[in-house]
Amino acid sequence: MRILILGLCLLWALPATAGPMGFQSSWMSMGDLGPNWREAFVNYALTSRDAIGISQTYMRSDNKLQTRDLSEITYTRLLYRLNQAHAQSNLWFVSGIGGINIDNNQPEAKPEVQQKIMLSPGVSADYETRRLYFSATQRLYRSENLNHDYSALRAGFSFYETDYTQTQPWLVIEARQMHDLTEQVEVTPMLRFINKQYFIEAGVNNTQQVRFNFMFIF
Amino acid sequence: MKKFNLCVLMILSFNLQAAEIIKAEVNGMVCAFCAQGIEKKLRKLPQIQDVTINLKNHIVAVALNDQHTLTVNTIKDLIKDAGYDVTDIKVMQGDLQQFKQP
Repeated sequence: MRILILGLCLLWALPATAGPMGFQSSWMSMGDLGPNWREAFVNYALTSRDAIGISQTYMRSDNKLQTRDLSEITYTRLLYRLNQAHAQSNLWFVSGIGGINIDNNQPEAKPEVQQKIMLSPGVSADYETRRLYFSATQRLYRSENLNHDYSALRAGFSFYETDYTQTQPWLVIEARQMHDLTEQVEVTPMLRFINKQYFIEAGVNNTQQVRFNFMFIF
Repeated sequence: MKKFNLCVLMILSFNLQAAEIIKAEVNGMVCAFCAQGIEKKLRKLPQIQDVTINLKNHIVAVALNDQHTLTVNTIKDLIKDAGYDVTDIKVMQGDLQQFKQP
């Protein structure tokens, strides 16, 4: 049922502000930082629709015993964009291939760290106006005998409209889940500040963990 | 001397106000962070003196340097490369100030 709802959301192209890549010939760096999930990537837009990059992701289970370190080469593709006078909708293909270090750190077993190849294809859809924002992401994180699929939904609104040169504040709520690591849905209300030079978000999730996200294009 | 200074000011003022401007109406510009690509791409062109983006009225306007020419298609293609759609574009005389948000 959850997958069906998420699928419907994707079909309806739920929104997202800044996409996972910049404009042609630009570099984008992004960070999503929290105790259980830390992701940092940089990519380069080869065309207005394609970007390649590298990514580093740290994942940790709710009980803090299992950890994953994933290093990937990524490819991002803008599959579809609809530009309207007061809105923009996008559908993205995101993917990565790399190595993952698996540390299950089970108390009753001997310490064991494994290394495997991981694939992480996914799609992300977003819809945004100057005051509203929605997005949905479904990404598979698969390796041999390993499934850490990631699902996220976001919705937000801006407190007021701003000029191109001003900083715009938003309130965004994100719900996300990672299979086999965090079975409970993580819900994080975040304050977002968008300027023509930066994009930052900060909030505290439903387990009282602080999160901080950022994006820069250069 | 005062008259001379006044004349210089008037000439400068006339030149500033009467710059050639290309004004484009652009679909999809909903956030400053995303639209920065348009400004960065346009500012790389030596023919361009200044750029103004108005999100509310979805306008991109550029002032051209004196004695420089630029076709509207060049601007249109650049904006398209940045990921947006131009719905209308025209050349006019004027001041970029008129396109800035109050």
